[in-house]
Amino acid sequence: MKSLNKIKSAINKNVNGEVYLKEWHKSIILEGKVKSWDDFIKAGQIAANKGYKGVVNNMEVEGFKSPPIKAPSIKDGTLDGKKVDVLVIGGGVTGCSILRELSKWDISCLLVDKEEDVAMHASSRNDGMVHPGIEPKPGSNKARFNVEGNRLYTQIAKELDVPLNRTGSLVLFDKKILKAAFPIVDARRKKNGLDKIKLVSQSEIKKYEPYADDNVGGALFFPSTAITCPYKMTVAYGENAVMNGAEISLNTIVLSIHKEEDKIVYVETNRGKIFPKVVIDAAGCFADVIADMAGDKFFSIHPRKGEILILDKKKGRLLHSVLAKPSLTIVKGNTKGGGIVKTVDGNILVGPDAYEQPLREDFSTHMENINAIANKHFPILPGINKGDIITYFAGVRAATYEEDFIVEKSEYVENLVYAAGIQSPGFASAPAISREIERITIDVLSKMMKVKKKENFNPYRKGIPDLSLMNENDRSELIKKRPDYGVIVCRCEEISKGEIIDAINSPIPTRTIDGIKRRVRPGMGRCQGGFCMPQVLNIISKEKGIDPTKVTKKGEGSNILVSETKQSK
Amino acid sequence: MDNYDVVVLGGGPAGLAAALASNECGGKTLIIEREKLLGGILKQCIHDGFGLIRFKEKLSGPEYSGRYIDMVLEKDIDVETSTFVTEIKKQGEEFLITIVNSKYGVKKIKAKAIVLANGCRERTWRQVFIQGTRPAGIYTAGTAQYFVNMMGYLPFKKCVVLGSGDIGLIMARRLTLEGCTVEGVYEAKSTPSGLSRNIAQCLDDFSIPLHLSHTVTRVFGDDRLNAVEISKVDEKMIPIPGTEKIVECDGLVLSVGLIPENEIAESLNIKIDRKTKGPFVDQNLMTGLEGVFSCGNALHVNDLVDYVSESGEIAGENAAKYAKEHKDRKLIRMNADSKFLYAVPQYIDINSLNQKVIAYFRSRDIRDKMTVKLLYDGQVIFSRKYNKLKPPEMERITFDISKLNLKDNGEINIVMEG
Ligand SMILES: Cc1cc2nc3c(=O)[nH]c(=O)nc-3n(C[C@H](O)[C@H](O)[C@H](O)COP(=O)(O)OP(=O)(O)OC[C@H]3O[C@@H](n4cnc5c(N)ncnc54)[C@H](O)[C@@H]3O)c2cc1C
Ligand SMILES: Cc1cc2nc3c(=O)[nH]c(=O)nc-3n(C[C@H](O)[C@H](O)[C@H](O)COP(=O)(O)OP(=O)(O)OC[C@H]3O[C@@H](n4cnc5c(N)ncnc54)[C@H](O)[C@@H]3O)c2cc1C
Repeated sequence: MKSLNKIKSAINKNVNGEVYLKEWHKSIILEGKVKSWDDFIKAGQIAANKGYKGVVNNMEVEGFKSPPIKAPSIKDGTLDGKKVDVLVIGGGVTGCSILRELSKWDISCLLVDKEEDVAMHASSRNDGMVHPGIEPKPGSNKARFNVEGNRLYTQIAKELDVPLNRTGSLVLFDKKILKAAFPIVDARRKKNGLDKIKLVSQSEIKKYEPYADDNVGGALFFPSTAITCPYKMTVAYGENAVMNGAEISLNTIVLSIHKEEDKIVYVETNRGKIFPKVVIDAAGCFADVIADMAGDKFFSIHPRKGEILILDKKKGRLLHSVLAKPSLTIVKGNTKGGGIVKTVDGNILVGPDAYEQPLREDFSTHMENINAIANKHFPILPGINKGDIITYFAGVRAATYEEDFIVEKSEYVENLVYAAGIQSPGFASAPAISREIERITIDVLSKMMKVKKKENFNPYRKGIPDLSLMNENDRSELIKKRPDYGVIVCRCEEISKGEIIDAINSPIPTRTIDGIKRRVRPGMGRCQGGFCMPQVLNIISKEKGIDPTKVTKKGEGSNILVSETKQSK
Repeated sequence: MDNYDVVVLGGGPAGLAAALASNECGGKTLIIEREKLLGGILKQCIHDGFGLIRFKEKLSGPEYSGRYIDMVLEKDIDVETSTFVTEIKKQGEEFLITIVNSKYGVKKIKAKAIVLANGCRERTWRQVFIQGTRPAGIYTAGTAQYFVNMMGYLPFKKCVVLGSGDIGLIMARRLTLEGCTVEGVYEAKSTPSGLSRNIAQCLDDFSIPLHLSHTVTRVFGDDRLNAVEISKVDEKMIPIPGTEKIVECDGLVLSVGLIPENEIAESLNIKIDRKTKGPFVDQNLMTGLEGVFSCGNALHVNDLVDYVSESGEIAGENAAKYAKEHKDRKLIRMNADSKFLYAVPQYIDINSLNQKVIAYFRSRDIRDKMTVKLLYDGQVIFSRKYNKLKPPEMERITFDISKLNLKDNGEINIVMEG
């Protein structure tokens, strides 16, 4: 353990501003004021991994005031006084997978998320790549849960009926680096417990990816890399939990946490006070805010943003798996720098990048980043160009200064469990993190009550049928039974009215344009909903019995229409 | 299985005209339309200005298409609406079409010839690289038009229109009439894209400002759009840093270009012209694949529906003829020089009995006092003087090749001289 004074002088040497340190609950707290966000991050990074439990960065940044968390305006008492055995905060892939694993047990579980739907934050804003687990440092939580999560995904995808392609990934290297890289990578592979990787010679590259740029020294092939759809997976986890008796309350924000002694008694939300036996913090970029509410903030999340491009399916044929070429200058703390991914739906994703910025909920994109991503990655797949881009998006990773997942019971609050700091590869790790959290939670709960497994837990969830993939006879049969399956609404993605109605009435019902998009894809094609969005809006309005002006894109305040026209009035 | 001589994909003005022409030539004809109603995009174009050439009348879109729909329904032409084509395969001389609808589920249809009349789609705000958040309130002009004209709902209170294409101009007026404030129309080019008559009737008459050499670079608002950032652009249409200004609004209408829908053509490996974004065709509007014809906005983006109908007729007639009998084609190139945005057709079939060629072209730039000439083997075979040529206004010419004695190693060049 380094002395606080030494750390302090290292920080003050390297950052502009006045920084004070103190120790609290074995963690370092940073206070004071710095000039810029870069200084803020740098100070945290210098203090990290010096033998303390965590770094809590409470400094101010000149001229910057953190905006308040975006909260639903609705206030009612629907949850007031509700008693549950487990309360999960956060409906991303982490929270939803935890809820599902807990729904195996004969206990009452409730998940709350402040948004209109599950998977509205990082869990719908990523590459959907199930990394092999080579990047994380051996011995880290990341390494453990990534490798284990990767293995578990085959079974999970089957149980939850979500497409998963175990395509492997090809990492291209320049000649000079390749020779040096292989032994290092292979040694790490062994330490992290991955399957064998393959050294691919230049002449063999085309065998893996016929359209890749093979003007390189060679490549490494990681056979266990897989691709799946992150939001479908998150929704599927959530749905399976609901099928097994768990509850999900959306548009529900946790506002404060009330403890007596070292135990949480109730959690205050905009829908009333909830009385849980155990609380699980899976709040993504706000996990440290939740910890703070419980008086237990021993880490800080610093939002690390990334942007991703989506290319037209037309170019999907150029890629089979995942392709990347790491750049020489790996920025410390950042991911290896993205690559090119063929999604399970046949599009190509390019990116992400990674940069520090202060906003936890800013999903805006920037031209210079879009250009930089294109310039960096397009050369490795020469058949693609900027004209193939149909859209782009951004996500925010919940990074801690320790750069590792926090998967543990709180040391100071008896009934609080953390699944925090779940940045990349958090999606790949979800099946494993959720099982570990299940184990910890059941352990805590067992001290308070008798806990047993459910007898009738059903691990299988059937997704909405994708008619475009069915054989003709099955498709005809289904259409005969439900003629709505024969009415194609989205022309680019060939989605029928029946599938859209299924999405509206699914176990986690949705009534937004984006919610339907995440479940069954209308509007995700090249026309980006130009033709089908009004139809989808009409279907929602009819099915839910709401006025068209009340239909939203993604929840409160995002209404598609403003009023009737003069004439229809 | 049903067998047809000609199957027309798309029931807009191009497809309707094609089906009528095919029927007229004795072809057993089917129209497949994926929407509930025939009429294509005209269903929602309730403004007038359609049919000036064809009917010498100012009709609204639905009136224009209504006339064609009535004619189709009188004839022995089969129509399948709410029907989606999932696949087309060439099998020997014939085509096997797979369709999906509620009535039959999945069904196969055979055709000797196919007319692609799929129309076009609109470019999106992402395809012009607008950055920022992803709020509600950003729609293409066609989508906004659908909300207003087909559903009776207003999507904005105060909006900005990006792009001075015709649909954008028409929507600026339509929205104004419905009580929405249109803050302005912004156009990245230094000249408007829409027809002059639309600039006058849709903007000037309503005092809506048109800002040339400006574009929208960024949008703001988490849930609903609350502002856009406008930037000046240079001659290369690149935004100039430091010229940004913020305009508060709850709506952005995009009229930034139409893209012919040719996914089916591409699935048949039909070559697409990068200039028109439609298939390469000969004077019979037959594509590179024998038996497949293309017309209307799927072939190239038209501004006047009269020409759309005309191209439908050419395609339909020749498709029916092809279905009856056909001989091998002998194609020679028709090349337009770089002063043209494009010219259609790109090929002439010198073996064809159709020797009266109808060609369409657009100038790349605004030019005064030009002569357009067709050259074959160094000889001028056609020439016409134009007072003014503008990219938004498509020109039509006809010429006869029967006397020219065209050879299969020759080519026709279209040139523009000042
Ligand atoms: C650009 C990008 C690319 C990535 N690519 C990959 C990849 O290819 N593979 C991979 O494995 N990982 C990837 N990741 C990481 C991965 O996306 C995340 O690790 C994962 O989605 C985290 O899930 P989560 O459930 O922990 O967080 P989130 O999905 O962010 O969920 C947190 C939820 O908590 C809710 N919440 C927060 N505060 C409150 C409150 N007070 N009350 C109620 N609800 C609250 C939020 O609304 C949110 O829904 C990527 C991330 C980004 C940004
Ligand atoms: C807003 C607007 C304003 C205009 N204003 C004027 C004007 O004032 N005057 C004028 O003369 N012209 C005007 N035009 C131009 C002209 O009317 C259009 O270019 C013309 O309607 C194009 O006809 P089309 O048949 O090629 O395409 P569309 O009208 O788009 O019809 C194509 C049809 O094909 C269907 N389809 C597509 N693919 C398939 C498939 N795979 N299977 C089955 N069906 C399919 C579509 O659903 C659609 O119904 C305007 C156009 C627009 C969009």
